[in-house]
Amino acid sequence: MASLFRAYGRGLGALLILIATLWILALILVPLGAMIEQSLWWKDSKGDITLQIDRLYNDMATLQLDASGESDAAKKAGLEAQIAQKQAEATALEAQETNPPKTYGLANFTRMSGLHFYIFIRTIIYALMVTALALVVCYPMAYAVALASGPRKAIVLTVALIVPYAINELLRVYAWLMILDYRGVINGILGWLGMVDLDNRGWIPFLENPSAVFLAMIYTYVLFMVFPMVNTLETLDRNQIEAARDLGASSFRIHRRVIIPHAKPGIAVGCIMTFMLSAGSYSVPAIMTRGQGGDWFSQLVYRQFFESNNWNMGSAYAVSLLVVCTAFILIMMRLFGVGLRDIAK
Amino acid sequence: MRGKDVRLDQVSIRFGDAVAVQPLNLTIEAGEFFSILGPSGCGKTTILRTVSGFIEPTIGRVLIGGEDMAGKGPNERPTALIFQNLALFPLMSVAENVAFGLEARGVAKAERLKRAQELLELVALGGYGDKKPSDLSGGQRQRVAIARALAVEPSVLLLDEPLSALDLKLRQHMRAELRAIQKRVGITFIYITHDQGEALAMSDRVAVMSRGQLEQVAAPDTLYAEPATPFVATFVGEQNVIRGTLRRISNGMASVDTPLGPVEGREVGTPAIGAPVLVMVRPERMTLGDGRDNRIPATLKARHLEGPSVNLECTAAGQTLTVTLANGPAVRELPDDLVLGFGRDDARVYAEGALANG
Repeated sequence: MASLFRAYGRGLGALLILIATLWILALILVPLGAMIEQSLWWKDSKGDITLQIDRLYNDMATLQLDASGESDAAKKAGLEAQIAQKQAEATALEAQETNPPKTYGLANFTRMSGLHFYIFIRTIIYALMVTALALVVCYPMAYAVALASGPRKAIVLTVALIVPYAINELLRVYAWLMILDYRGVINGILGWLGMVDLDNRGWIPFLENPSAVFLAMIYTYVLFMVFPMVNTLETLDRNQIEAARDLGASSFRIHRRVIIPHAKPGIAVGCIMTFMLSAGSYSVPAIMTRGQGGDWFSQLVYRQFFESNNWNMGSAYAVSLLVVCTAFILIMMRLFGVGLRDIAK
Repeated sequence: MRGKDVRLDQVSIRFGDAVAVQPLNLTIEAGEFFSILGPSGCGKTTILRTVSGFIEPTIGRVLIGGEDMAGKGPNERPTALIFQNLALFPLMSVAENVAFGLEARGVAKAERLKRAQELLELVALGGYGDKKPSDLSGGQRQRVAIARALAVEPSVLLLDEPLSALDLKLRQHMRAELRAIQKRVGITFIYITHDQGEALAMSDRVAVMSRGQLEQVAAPDTLYAEPATPFVATFVGEQNVIRGTLRRISNGMASVDTPLGPVEGREVGTPAIGAPVLVMVRPERMTLGDGRDNRIPATLKARHLEGPSVNLECTAAGQTLTVTLANGPAVRELPDDLVLGFGRDDARVYAEGALANG
């Protein structure tokens, strides 16, 4: 902080610190804190509370009817006292219904149903598979882009990767939907070739297979895998590749011993990004499966918030996902032996 | 390890329309320390990469030990290349670096590490195997690169200006070291450099290149004393260049009319009578005073003390001439008006041609 003041002067230094603090507060601490807080409590609403209130009001209505037909003053007063008592009970219950008492604890996390837990684990595994597939697809691509000689080749490859990214993510996912749909491009071509019978619903149900989601996800997140790798591969001294070849190494050995070790930080960053994005992706599985394939965990989180209207449970689900993703980052960093510093590069 | 000879047979290299190397023939003897000397862009590195197999010649053949290398990649040739920036593998230890070529050949780990240790001892780095290249000094890294290249037992070691990144003292030390290593292992060294000092100090023979052409191939002494072209004459060592017109030639001696008066010198390559010529005299071959074959009155402009010698910067008829004299009492106090002299055999007369410095 002292060096910041020295470099920019007191006023500007203080301003920079203020901006950084606001940034961290507004973008990281406050939303995350709110989410974690939300996940740690629940409202103790007894399910039959509304029923009880209804029953009280019914009773009151009956008593009212009895009271209005009663001529005996003493009996009438007794009935009215009963009504007042029931009214007080109902008011108390209503207060509980609109503002039930909060209870803090970890129940939101432990209450996850077996099916939801299964989906959670499956989502993590799927996201790992997407990451691994994306790595396999992207490494040769990144290598080709990074080592392309001559500016023209690099431009062509970069444009080929970036231009698709100028198109909205949803459009790209829908495009894959159209390609893979029952009466989509692939089935259409197969039908035209006479290999499937579209009229009798003999199409190949690509979308019911999780790999349809994988495909769309890899396509959607390719760039996040490719760019970090290109960045590190571009810093590789090509003489090292030539030196390895000159010393008699095969291409496979050159990649294994020279290029991949150098690209490690980029590979780690690409894997982290792709994993985070795919584990948390809502739109891709939602659009690609349309309920035909299995749900992803992100869809469950969505339902907890907007269909079950249980924000506490939704928060707990979201926090669980966050914890696993963070653990994944740490494991990747340990596995690849890269520090935060390397990743920031 | 045994050296092999390298022969370039009518080799020419083009990149698109640009001619990097004009057709040339060159034979490098087995076990020779051979330097290719030239300014940057003269094609010397291209030749090195052609011998190592990274570039295929557009025309012509490369033969190593009599065997045609056409179609053989860098990993299939009996050569090893030391890169200008050394290109050590930064993430591997020094021993792994040295053992890499053996690893690529499938030598078992214990065996290759033992061999790496021997090579590190050869280059006096026995205790450094576990360090990373970044922990070493420039000269030590240099020796690791040499050990790594020698590990694959090449017949020809190719060196691409490997000393250029070192400071002067270390460079001079490494020259002697390289030469000693070459003598010890006895393989062919092809050394690329733009530094004439390196080339003259280390080599058995030197080839001077300019614009993709071989200017001269000779032993260092010959190269310095009898440069074949104006380019070699001015690129290797210093020269006083006097332009003039050739009047006549008799017995190999040329008489030239120059703005500084008539000059006589040994003719090189029979220029035509009446043609423009260049008279070249090395500064250390000039002396002060009368009594020599050629005599040029000049004015002393500046005196540069080099230590053992003194450079006198003089002008005659608007042209700058430099004289290098041994330092001593005789050159401490000098008059402004001097007479410069040199013998007929000290001057060489060339037909007009390209010089090394524009």
